[in-house]
Amino acid sequence: MLVKLIKKGAEADIYTGVWKNYKSIFKIRKIKNYRNASLDSKIRKQRTIKESQILSQVKSFGIPSPLVYFVDLGKTMIVMQEIPGKPVHDLSELKIVQSSKEIGKLVGLLHKNGVMHGDLTTSNFILFKNIIYMIDFGLSQNTIKPEDHAVDLRLIKEILNSAHAKIMQSCWKNFLAGYKSVVGITYQTKIVKLVSDIESRGRYAEVV
Amino acid sequence: MIGLGIESTAHTFSCAVIEKKGKKGKILSDIRKIFRPEAGQGIHPREASRHHIENSPIVLSECLKEADVSIGDLDIISYAAGPGLGPCLRVGAVVARSLSSFYKIPIYPVNHAIGHIELGKLLTGARDPLVLLVSGGHTMLLSFLDKQWRVFGETLDITLGQLLDQFGRSLGFASPCGKNIEELASTSSNYVALPYSVKGNDVSFSGLLSATKSVSQKSKIDACYSLQETAFAMISETVERALSFTSKKELMIVGGVAANKRLSAMLKDVCKRHGCKFFVVPLEYAGDCGSQICWTGLLESQVKEGVLLKDTFVTQSWRLDSVKVDY
Repeated sequence: MLVKLIKKGAEADIYTGVWKNYKSIFKIRKIKNYRNASLDSKIRKQRTIKESQILSQVKSFGIPSPLVYFVDLGKTMIVMQEIPGKPVHDLSELKIVQSSKEIGKLVGLLHKNGVMHGDLTTSNFILFKNIIYMIDFGLSQNTIKPEDHAVDLRLIKEILNSAHAKIMQSCWKNFLAGYKSVVGITYQTKIVKLVSDIESRGRYAEVV
Repeated sequence: MIGLGIESTAHTFSCAVIEKKGKKGKILSDIRKIFRPEAGQGIHPREASRHHIENSPIVLSECLKEADVSIGDLDIISYAAGPGLGPCLRVGAVVARSLSSFYKIPIYPVNHAIGHIELGKLLTGARDPLVLLVSGGHTMLLSFLDKQWRVFGETLDITLGQLLDQFGRSLGFASPCGKNIEELASTSSNYVALPYSVKGNDVSFSGLLSATKSVSQKSKIDACYSLQETAFAMISETVERALSFTSKKELMIVGGVAANKRLSAMLKDVCKRHGCKFFVVPLEYAGDCGSQICWTGLLESQVKEGVLLKDTFVTQSWRLDSVKVDY
């Protein structure tokens, strides 16, 4: 039972509601009329399946994430546990800097187990009772390719640079420290190198 | 205050005169000559710069004549210092330097991409928009924060303009090919699946380009249709991501590809869903033009003196997110 629309996300509408007496989040990927219909339905179906699979999978890595209660592929809808905390994006600057290390650890765990998130932003981590939960796995993939892992790091770096410019340096430092503590220095160095490779391929990047 | 702006980053040589009063700007003239490569070919920097050299006196005098000003009336001169093709950039810079040193007029090097954004803001009235800059040189999502334009997403390889041009050239069209592709696309509605590559807020078009080329061997119109649908859906999705992340209430599209009607229609729909105002730069000023350079120079002159002649650089690689904006 849907109760209230709480967010129009990029891909899906997020509702709160009740499912079998549990207060739940309903994530519904609605039809996008601007998109070609067959492309639209392909994207919505694929992502719904992938997200629900990976939501469950990551728990075995020790990554806190919402429980999946129910998936309705016809409605491209996932019903999941509500995490009633606050997105890291909306925390105070000090808290964001502090959280960055834990975020780095979680991303490290994800990569170590062969999964890339695909949409690492500060809005996709929720702080609730001192635990950081990872959410929104719509663009996730099972991959052990270092290049894919580097895409994850490059994205969170881009977001820190654009949305949290003032605290970017300390956030990035903490993130890398957390990441390194899980994947080890060799792998971390390799990925950071690949991030600069991606950046140097960017348009008009300064060639060092 | 009256300014002259000179644009010569790629295929267009253009001069414009704008009169600035307070925050308002009035374009008095904007004259352009566009280098047209042969069908199926790209812009050769040497050929394009030769075109610019040959046309610069004509464009300049026509621009002053239409604006009804003489060189003595000019308060400042600005030129596009990058990013762009080196030989082309140098033509604009040489014209600007010559006028500046002979007539003792302050000179301002301007970032071409910032020019697209500032002119867009002037002409659309957008105040604090999420900006989608789509052209031959750029595919970027930007928002303004703490004196700098910040990149929220961009292409990881080729730009949307390059995607359309390179594909169009493979069909034998002459650059810029966006319009030809748009026309062919409108005659098909048969969607062929193509690689859809969105990485967070970033996009990648190179795989899409190769795949579309092979589809075009079966049907050109289906290839054009499917290419537009796929590429624009990718752009729309990243726009949605950025709108949802930044909670901006305005979207503004600028750059040459802003002229594409299908792209506008899709983004208009995105804006409706997010309760966001939609602005698109007027068709006439979507592509490269002197006005974008002139207006940005005029804005800079509010807070800065012109630069010394020895500092009138040009640079092929100059990211707009490295520019401090103080006005």
